[in-house]
Amino acid sequence: MDSAPFNYRRVIIWMGRLVIAGIFIYAGLAKVIRWDMHPRPPLGIARTLFALQIDSYQMLPAWAVLQVAQWLPWTEIAIGLLLLIGWRLRIWATIVTLIIGGFFAAVVRAYTLHMDINCGCFAKPEPLTGMTVLRDGALLVLALLMTVFAFQEAGKPHPWTAAAPEQSS
Amino acid sequence: MKRRLLLVPTVALMVGSLGLGALLLVAAPFAQKLAGAKNATPAKAAAAAAPAQTQITVNGVVDIDPTKAFGNKSAPVVMEVYSDFQCPACKQLFTTTTQRVNDNYVNTGKVYMVHRDYPLPMHAYSRVAASYARAAAHIGKCEAVEVALFQNQEKWEASGDVKGIVASVLSPADMKKVQSLVDGKTLEPLIERDKQLGMAVPVNQTPTSIIHAKNGQSYPVIGFVSYDVLKTLLDQLVAQGASGK
Repeated sequence: MDSAPFNYRRVIIWMGRLVIAGIFIYAGLAKVIRWDMHPRPPLGIARTLFALQIDSYQMLPAWAVLQVAQWLPWTEIAIGLLLLIGWRLRIWATIVTLIIGGFFAAVVRAYTLHMDINCGCFAKPEPLTGMTVLRDGALLVLALLMTVFAFQEAGKPHPWTAAAPEQSS
Repeated sequence: MKRRLLLVPTVALMVGSLGLGALLLVAAPFAQKLAGAKNATPAKAAAAAAPAQTQITVNGVVDIDPTKAFGNKSAPVVMEVYSDFQCPACKQLFTTTTQRVNDNYVNTGKVYMVHRDYPLPMHAYSRVAASYARAAAHIGKCEAVEVALFQNQEKWEASGDVKGIVASVLSPADMKKVQSLVDGKTLEPLIERDKQLGMAVPVNQTPTSIIHAKNGQSYPVIGFVSYDVLKTLLDQLVAQGASGK
């Protein structure tokens, strides 16, 4: 059963890759392009608007906020594409899990401190609520499962390339 | 060979994702126009409900009470701040960010600052505080009273003695004028108009700042923001205004 192409671990790895990649690519593009605004702001202003959302969490100094705002959207897009491609999956799955863990910690902190702020997850104004915490928590569980299963499956031969069992004559 | 077959769904997914992204990109302006058309009605309603007093329009921002606005009217950036005197994040924004913006951008002619009242029903004394602040603004004592109200927020929030805090920073003669305006309720429509304009934005929480660039673009900034990050945005918009883009 373990060598079947669609055992439950492989299904979860695929689900994780597709869901997390889709969310990351969408979130990264939303922050860069700001299609919720019309006319769309130039790239520099879109970056600063995202910085304002990061700043509202009051976790980082201003210079770090600006650096995160500069690099995070592109990182999200790149990691999303790498997850889709599946190249060096264990490395990128681990990194994406750490990133989602960071997001989850920030969201839980803001929620427990009753900070009346926007999530900033997809750039557009979206109040941070209990649903945001649940959503990020579910995503973290999926990322964790994907990473653990990716490591487990990596040690086994791929079912489609494994040698076929010998036929008894 | 079979493994290579995995490439087909992977590439198809990537192409599909990019296609979906492109579709969203193309469809977004139309969706925005539709949303804009829907939002036009409450904005017009708010403007219609506004009393015809001495309101001014600056850079497309309508119904400004000049006694609650500061700076150069031809500044490249207009910043509207919707706040509630009893909200802790509004206090934080006012004491740490807005005052530095006043010093470095409003007083230098780069930003025109508009204070809007948005008293929330959940706060018992915020409407009273807004009434006293508005009255003080109309006798030219806006800044002193706003500073006093925000800096002593915890005191009057606990005691309800808004009047006492206002009286502590005004002369008896000024306090008499302020009290007369508060009692007469003649300025209440101005507070109500700010609230209606805020609902048309819509303002979902306080503080909410709307930053208007010279090119007509508006950027909402929701919640508290530190001065150093806000400064980056203001510098970009001032530079954009100067270059005429």
